[in-house]
Amino acid sequence: MTDKPDDHMIVFEDVSKFYGEILGVNRVTLAIEPGITSLVGPNGSGKTTLMNLMTGLIRPTRGRVSVLGLRPDHPEVFFSKVGYCSQFDSFPSALTGFQFISSFLRVHGRPKKEAQELAWKALHRVDLLEAAHRKIAAYSKGMRQRVRFAQAIAHEPAVMILDEPLNGLDPMARAETIRLFRQLADEGLHLIISSHILHEVNDMSDTVILLNNGYVVAEGAIQGVRDEMEEHPMQILIRCDRPGLLAARVFEQDSVVEAKIHKDKHGLFVKTRDADAFYLLLNTIVVEDGLNVESIAPADDDLNAVYQYLIGGGDAG
Amino acid sequence: MAVHEHAYKPYAGPLTPEWSRFLIIPRHAYRDVFSSKLFTGFFALCFVCPLVMAILIYLHHNLTAMAIFQINLQDLAPINGFFFQFFVGFQTALAFLLTVLMGPPLISRDLANNALPLYLCRPFSRAEYVIGKMSVLLILISAITWVPGELMFLFQSYLEGAGWAAKNIWIAGAIFVGSWTWILLLALLSVTISAWVKWRLAASAALFGLFIISNAIGFTVNGVLQTRWGGLFNLTIIMKTIEDSLFRDTNSSGLPSWMVLPTPAAWIMLALFLALCLFLLTRKVRAYEVVR
Repeated sequence: MTDKPDDHMIVFEDVSKFYGEILGVNRVTLAIEPGITSLVGPNGSGKTTLMNLMTGLIRPTRGRVSVLGLRPDHPEVFFSKVGYCSQFDSFPSALTGFQFISSFLRVHGRPKKEAQELAWKALHRVDLLEAAHRKIAAYSKGMRQRVRFAQAIAHEPAVMILDEPLNGLDPMARAETIRLFRQLADEGLHLIISSHILHEVNDMSDTVILLNNGYVVAEGAIQGVRDEMEEHPMQILIRCDRPGLLAARVFEQDSVVEAKIHKDKHGLFVKTRDADAFYLLLNTIVVEDGLNVESIAPADDDLNAVYQYLIGGGDAG
Repeated sequence: MAVHEHAYKPYAGPLTPEWSRFLIIPRHAYRDVFSSKLFTGFFALCFVCPLVMAILIYLHHNLTAMAIFQINLQDLAPINGFFFQFFVGFQTALAFLLTVLMGPPLISRDLANNALPLYLCRPFSRAEYVIGKMSVLLILISAITWVPGELMFLFQSYLEGAGWAAKNIWIAGAIFVGSWTWILLLALLSVTISAWVKWRLAASAALFGLFIISNAIGFTVNGVLQTRWGGLFNLTIIMKTIEDSLFRDTNSSGLPSWMVLPTPAAWIMLALFLALCLFLLTRKVRAYEVVR
């Protein structure tokens, strides 16, 4: 493999996918770097289509998709680098967790002994060793989710596509799974995750791709995306002892469009089109008026706010 | 942005040959079906006919035994093309029942569980998936048709001598080709129905129904139009015509002579039917089904 920039990225070049007359995704151009990338958007926005294009399960109608410089035309190499965890229960009946994982490793061409070793390793990573020889049909929802994840990581892929990987997990298992995601991402792997749970996506993702109606509406780090949304003024909460005084002075700056005193009377919400300029003004006010500031925090630079602004109040599925 | 260590190291060890990977599918299917005592019992019964016929072959060459039983097997059951044709006909009837038991859930279960993406996101093509599913039946039906058939032929050749074997080598070919035409038809038909009919009972009924309905259509067309060509729609007649030609029999099913199909027409219809099955399979066996 040559060491081109594409060799470390998942690249979409002007990719469109139509199912007959139905739009899957349209004119998508992306370069996804290693780390955790979350796909967020309402139902039918094109998340699954994007994931299927990355896994090589479907081919684009137009454009080019490459994963670490590879294309699905070379399945032996391509699929050895990609791990896929579907959101569905897709277990052949009567198999145990261990058999399920080792069988799919055999499909990857791993010899029997190595397939068994890798299966144990994967089961260990998802904490399913004790249930390894129980039939999957008898697993709880959380255990099924974990065995699904185990089969995706078992062949040690460089790219993992995970469709709703946190569904059905209890809080402890969620925290443990997110920790595992973080660990894998820090090893230099790509983790592409779709999730409904915005605050968890917010916490774990390096990059977010927001989709709506088959189009990418935003991509990048959450804060970066938020900073570029000029039509939606940044909301900042300043906790201080004299919010009334602060409210009177913030309008010295034209970029401030709204100020609202917090209901506990110990804070002020400010909406501004230029956050950097506002922070400079705030410094001046603090020095000149002796304002006692307890905390300053952006109130709407999280994924939830970005989602609401860009896509609206629909569900994030 | 996280600082990535790039500690990932891809696997660089040996891999098993690509051609052998489809065998993962039948291995698990067998474990599943042979856990049923009913199925295991039925499968064991499928070997009764080969066993009885092998004993008959042995008795043919054992004058003492014939003297004890006071029968002349040479006249009662001569070892010739018809003997082996009967064997293939009987065993393929059992193969049909085996297909009805095993075939319907082969693909439908994966479709119902959305399992196809899991297979196809690996170095495993749609063709390999279908071959893997079909091989569940191909291997089992082979075990009760041409494999014991050829063993019986070898047994008879051993007892009768090289002269008989050389003169009747065409029978070995007929057993092999005749069995495989049935095996391919049953396996392909079964996985196609399994892909389109998700409910197991309905799929089994469809497998039965296809033979019964095609029979009815064929005979109706023949009767109404006073023609032989209705047989082209009758799967049983098509297969019998092919079997007869292979075993050098003119009309083993006892049809009126004006109803007997020309052999090339039967082969062409069989090929068209198998092509139709393949087309239907390619429409259904996909990683994702788009519901419009």
